[in-house]
Amino acid sequence: MIVLQKGVRKLWELILINGLIIGGQYALLALGFSLILGVARVLNLAHPAFYMLSAFTIYTFSQVLDFNLTVTYILSLVFMIGLGVVIYQVILAPVRAQTSTVLILGLVLGIAAQELMLIFYGGQFRSLTRLASGTMQLGDAVISNQHILALSAVMLSLLGVWFLLFKSRFGIPIRAVAQDREVANLMGIPESRIAILTMAVSVALAVIAAAMVAPIGVIDPLMWLHPLVIVLTAVILGGLGSIKGSIMAAFILAFVEVSLVFLAPGAAFLRGAVSMFVMLTVLMFKPEGLYGVFMEGER
Amino acid sequence: MFAYLARKIWRDFQGEILALPTRTILFAAAVALLLLPLVTDDAYLLRIVATASIFAVYAASWDLLVGFSGQTTLGHSLFFGIAAYTAALLNLRFGLPAFLTIPAGALAAVLAGLLLSLPALRVRGPYFSLASLAMPIILMGLIFSFPGLTGGEMGLSGISRLAGTRTGEYYFLLISMFVLTLLMWKIATSRTALIFHAIREDEIVVRVSGINTTYYKILVFCCSGFFAGMAGSLYAHFLRVVGPSTLDIMMSLQVIIWGIFGGVVTIYGPVVGVFILYPLLEYLRIIPDWRMLIFAGIVVVTLRFMPEGISNKFQDLLERQCPRCKERNIFMRKECRICCTDIGTCSRVG
Amino acid sequence: MLLEVKDLSVSYDMATILSGISINVQDGELVGLVGPNGAGKTTLLRAITGLVKWEKDNRRGQRMGKITLEGQVSFMGEQISNLSADQIARRGLVHCPERRRPFKEMSVYENILAGAYLLKKNSPEFKRLLEEVYSLFPILKDRGRQISATLSGGEQQMLAIARSLMGKPKLLCIDEPSVGLAPIVKRELFERIAAVARSGITVLLVEQDVAMTFAMSNRNYVLSHGRLVSEGTSEVLLQDEDLRKSYLGL
Repeated sequence: MIVLQKGVRKLWELILINGLIIGGQYALLALGFSLILGVARVLNLAHPAFYMLSAFTIYTFSQVLDFNLTVTYILSLVFMIGLGVVIYQVILAPVRAQTSTVLILGLVLGIAAQELMLIFYGGQFRSLTRLASGTMQLGDAVISNQHILALSAVMLSLLGVWFLLFKSRFGIPIRAVAQDREVANLMGIPESRIAILTMAVSVALAVIAAAMVAPIGVIDPLMWLHPLVIVLTAVILGGLGSIKGSIMAAFILAFVEVSLVFLAPGAAFLRGAVSMFVMLTVLMFKPEGLYGVFMEGER
Repeated sequence: MFAYLARKIWRDFQGEILALPTRTILFAAAVALLLLPLVTDDAYLLRIVATASIFAVYAASWDLLVGFSGQTTLGHSLFFGIAAYTAALLNLRFGLPAFLTIPAGALAAVLAGLLLSLPALRVRGPYFSLASLAMPIILMGLIFSFPGLTGGEMGLSGISRLAGTRTGEYYFLLISMFVLTLLMWKIATSRTALIFHAIREDEIVVRVSGINTTYYKILVFCCSGFFAGMAGSLYAHFLRVVGPSTLDIMMSLQVIIWGIFGGVVTIYGPVVGVFILYPLLEYLRIIPDWRMLIFAGIVVVTLRFMPEGISNKFQDLLERQCPRCKERNIFMRKECRICCTDIGTCSRVG
Repeated sequence: MLLEVKDLSVSYDMATILSGISINVQDGELVGLVGPNGAGKTTLLRAITGLVKWEKDNRRGQRMGKITLEGQVSFMGEQISNLSADQIARRGLVHCPERRRPFKEMSVYENILAGAYLLKKNSPEFKRLLEEVYSLFPILKDRGRQISATLSGGEQQMLAIARSLMGKPKLLCIDEPSVGLAPIVKRELFERIAAVARSGITVLLVEQDVAMTFAMSNRNYVLSHGRLVSEGTSEVLLQDEDLRKSYLGL
C-alpha cells in the first residue's frame, strides 16, 4: 500500500505525496460509502469489496484478455456498475428496513467476493499496468507521472461528486431523498430510482479508486479489509451524513498512517491501532464527529 | 411429597416447554446433545459441538448487549480476547488452576465492559459501534507491542486442560453452556432487562422517568462482558492455545453473523445460529477452496429471505401471539391457552 | 369526478385503521376531513397518495406485522391504487404531509426546487409557479437562503404548502396544517389555503380545528374509529345535534 518513491529524498515529501494519494483513495471509498448510506440508508460493508473487485476486473480485462486501457476502463466501469446495481436491487434493497441484516449481508458479500477472487486468482500479489510512465520534476522533487495522474483523478472525482450534489439537476432529488425518503416520494421523486443512481455513482467511485490508485501498489483479494476499517472510521470520524467530514477524515487517517510508517517504520504494524486511537480521542471530545450534527429526531 | 414434586415438575414442563413447539425443539436438541457421546465417539464431532457451545455463550452474550439494550458493538471480541489472554497468562505465569482462571478471565472481561461503557456513555448509535470496533484493534496493537509477555503473533500455548478426558471436557462445556445461557435468558426476561429495552428505544425518555441510565448502561456492559469473558476463558482452556485471533476483527464480525442469522433479541437465537453455522463451516473443510464462498452464499440466501433471522422466522411460522394477553400459542390452536381469546381468525405475526 | 375512493380498508397487523371508506372529491371543491385523534384521517390520506403502499413495500423484514390495503382509488378516472407514491404525485395528486417535514438541511429555495422536481428548472412554467407561490407566501422569498430547519413552525408549514404547490397539483391534500400554531398564525394560514382553493386547485383538508375548516369548506367528511360517520355541507352537519356533541365538539 505504501510506496517508496525513487528520486524523492526528503521525508516530508514522502509523507505528503503518499498521504495525499492514500488519503485520496480512502476519500473516494469513504465518499461512495457515505453516499449510499445517506441516500438509501444502506450500510454497505461490501463497498470496499467493490474496490477490490474493480481492481481485479481491470486486471482481467487489461492483463488477461489484453484489451487496451481505454476499453478496459469503460468495460470495467460498465461491468462493475451493473454488478453493484444488481446486488443492490436483488439482495440489499429488499431487506433494507432491517439495518442489522443489511450490515451482515454486506459483510458476507464482501467475504464471498474475496473468496471468489481467491479461487480464480489465488492469494498472491499482482500489479496493474501503470497508466503513465516516466517522472516529472517538481521543484527539487521527482514524482512519477502515475502519482500525478492518480492525484488529479482523485481530486477531479471529488469535485465531480460535489458538482453532482450541489450543482447538477440530480443534486436536489438526491439530497431530498437523503433527508426524508417518504416526503421525497410525495414530491414525485422516484425514490428507488434515485437510490439506484446513487449506488451506481458509489460503485463508479470505487472503480475510479481502483483504476487510478491501485496501479501504484499491489492488488490481492484481501486488499479490501484494511480500507473497510478505515472507511468506517472515516465516515464516523467525519460525522455521519457529512460528505465534507468523511473526506477530511479520510485524509487525516491517511496522513496518520503514512506518518507512522515513515517516521517509525518499526511500529508500522500499529497503523490500525493508531488510527483507531485517533478516532476514539476525537469522538471523546466531539461525540458527533468532526462535521456531524445531532439531528433532533435522531438524538 | 416426591410424587407431588414430580407431578409439579411434569406440569411445569408441559406448560412451559411442550406447549410451545419452538421450546420443544430446543429441548429435544439439548437432550440430543447430552446423549451424543453415548452414541458416537467421533472425536471430531464432539470437538465441534464443544467448541460450538463456547461460541454459543459468546453469541448469546452479544445478543444481551446488542439485541436487548441496543448498544450495537462491533468489538465484542474485546471481552472474549481479554478473558482468554487473562486466563492463559494466569495459568501459564502463575500456575493457577482452571477453576480460578476462568472466573478471573470473566472478571477481566467485566473490567473491559466498564472500559467499553465509557464511550457508550458519551457517543451513541453508529458512533458507538465504531468506537467499540476500535478497542480490540488497539488492544491487539498492545499485544503485538509486548511479545515477551503475550507471545506476540504466536500467542500463548500449553494452557492446562479443563478436564481429564474428552468426554469430561465435552460435558463440562455443554453444561456450562446450558447454565450460562439459561442465566442470560433469566436476565433478559427480568425487570431489569425491561429498562435495557427502554434505553434501547429512547434513552432520554428513560432518563426523564427518573431512571439512572448511566448505571444501567454500565450494568449491561458488565453483564455481557462477564458472559463473553466466561466463553473466552473456557475457550483458552479448551483449545489450550490463545493467539491474537481471539481479538481479531473477524471474531467480532462472526458473532454478529451468528447472532443475526439466528435471530436477535431472543438469547437462544444466536445459540441456534452458532449450532447451525459453526458446524457447517467446519464440515465445509472437505472442500477447502470453496468453503467460505459456500458459507457466505448460504448466509446471504437465508438472510435475503428470512431477514428477521432463522429462529424468529420459525417462531412466527409455528406460533402465534395472543392479541389480548401476549402469550404465545402453537399455530394450530383456535383459542389462547391462557385467556381463551379466539385467535383462530387473526393474522400471524410476520 | 376528480377523486373517488371506494371501500378503502387499511389494517396494520391486527389493528384495523380504516374499514370500508368511500369518499369523493369534485373538481374545484374544498373538502374538509375532520375527526378526533386516531380516527384514521392521516392514514386515509396516506393510503390515497400511495404512502401506505410504500410503507408496506419498505417494511419487509421488520417484525412489525403485516399491512393490508384493500379498496380502490381512482383519480381523474384512472385507477391509482397500484401506483407508487411518486407516480401518483406525477399525476397531480399531491400530499402535503403531517408535521410539515421540510427537507431540514436544505435551504428554503432548495426545498421549493425539490417540490418542483417534475418541472424543468428555469422553464417559463416553473417561473410562473414560483411567482405565484411567492405572491402567496412572500416571506419565503425573503428567507430563500435560510436553512429550513431554522424556520418557525408557521413558516415551515407555509414552506411545506409552497413546496407541494410547485408540484402543479390538481388536488392538494393538506394534512393538519394548524398543529402547534398560534391562533393568529393559524388564521393567516387558513386564509392562504382558501386563496389556494380560489386559484382553482381542489383541496382536501384534514384538520382538527373543526370550526375553521367548516367555515371555509364546501363539503365535509367526518371520520371516527376508521369509519365514515357523516358527510355533507357545513350547515347541514352543524344542524345535527348528536354529531356536534359526540364528534365535532362544537
